[in-house]
Amino acid sequence: MTILLFAVVTQTTLFGRIRFIVPDLVMLVVILLALTRIRPEVILGTAFLSGLLVDLLGSSLLGLRAIVFTTVAYVALRTKERAENFRVAVALWAGILTLIGVALLVLIGTLFGQTSLLGANVASRVLVVPLANLLLAGLFGPLFVRLVDGDTSAFRFS
Amino acid sequence: MVDRDPRGHILPLLVTLIIFGVLLMTFDVRLQGGGVVGVLRTGTQTIIAPVQKAASYAVNPVADVVDSLSNLSNLREENIALRRQLANAEASLVGVQDQLARLEHFEQLYGMEAAGDEIGRTVANVIGRPDAFDAALIIDKGTSDGVVVGQPVVDTNGYVVGVVKSVTPGSATIVPITADRQALTVIVGDQIGSLLSQVATDEMRLEILDARAPVLVGDRVLTSAVSASFPAGLPVGVVTEDAAPSIDVLTATVDLFVHPDTLRLVVVLAWPPDPITASSDATIPSETTTTTTETATTTTTEGGG
Repeated sequence: MTILLFAVVTQTTLFGRIRFIVPDLVMLVVILLALTRIRPEVILGTAFLSGLLVDLLGSSLLGLRAIVFTTVAYVALRTKERAENFRVAVALWAGILTLIGVALLVLIGTLFGQTSLLGANVASRVLVVPLANLLLAGLFGPLFVRLVDGDTSAFRFS
Repeated sequence: MVDRDPRGHILPLLVTLIIFGVLLMTFDVRLQGGGVVGVLRTGTQTIIAPVQKAASYAVNPVADVVDSLSNLSNLREENIALRRQLANAEASLVGVQDQLARLEHFEQLYGMEAAGDEIGRTVANVIGRPDAFDAALIIDKGTSDGVVVGQPVVDTNGYVVGVVKSVTPGSATIVPITADRQALTVIVGDQIGSLLSQVATDEMRLEILDARAPVLVGDRVLTSAVSASFPAGLPVGVVTEDAAPSIDVLTATVDLFVHPDTLRLVVVLAWPPDPITASSDATIPSETTTTTTETATTTTTEGGG
């Protein structure tokens, strides 16, 4: 919970100010939680609450990110084996899941009349956000899992 | 390798959470951000805002350095443009000072007193944004500083930014006009029209029904006295292309003076003024709060400054 709160605050402050690095830190944390030993039900619940928190802090529809993050967490749980072998695999896996999440966000948001999601540079943001998450996942993904699980041997690739 | 977690029966939980999420979205649409949803939003923002404020003060120097480095190539160009704008502004200032002196002279001559049209202003720092896909701005002033929902927001040059959407005692969320679903009533020359946001661009679409004359490149778009959300005469942007009426309807593209992504400081206007105060006092108190910690770095696109 502390990590999620940290992610929310960093996302809304630091990454709210820097325009050219725009990861979705909260979505990334939700994705990386799937690699930990936390129970899947708890991960889905956490994903939903995290999305709800971001929705409550912003101006868009309440429940939009909650649905997106929960769906992404579910896909992450179903596909996490693909990320367990290499650091690059963790990065690619997180990047692709973020792309799915961002696409869902734009799609569901548009269906519910959230045209503000399709603001200026939407096409580049749809690509830049997953790329930034890919980079962060590659750099910090394994460390994150070790930290959450309290297991220093987890995700040590030979 | 990590330990494999038993995934259990998470599909029913996923479906339940998605249904709950859709219900929440429907509630939000139906209540238009008010009611229980509004209370939840305000409550959460009240709790998180102090943390965001503290974090903002800590990360601002880092963000400034990174932002400056990324924009280094544009700074020289921007400096030249700003110098040109400054020269134009100084020339205009001389003219305005002359006109003010004449106005004062005439007011004294006819015993007139200036009408109290000053509007209370609260200067606020932008402390964050929800995420890459939400254009809203979070500011560090709230109800404790006199900010209320629905108040108009401008930048430090007086150009229109947006409207206060939600407010807590110590913070507020602003929705820029580019992300607002409601059209803004504006005036171009003597024609009243609506300004609507467009998909995938910062430019807005101007629609004038019952148009009588064409609009030309560079025509200034101002807020109209008909607008329920903004005081009249605030600059919004300029028309980017010539457009003529077609069967009484005119459509044109407008480039805004303000790009919300670049804002660090905004000014919340206490408008409409309190009707009780307005009726009892001839002059509305001005300049309520002006506490700032940063300098403005607003980017404008106006040619003449």
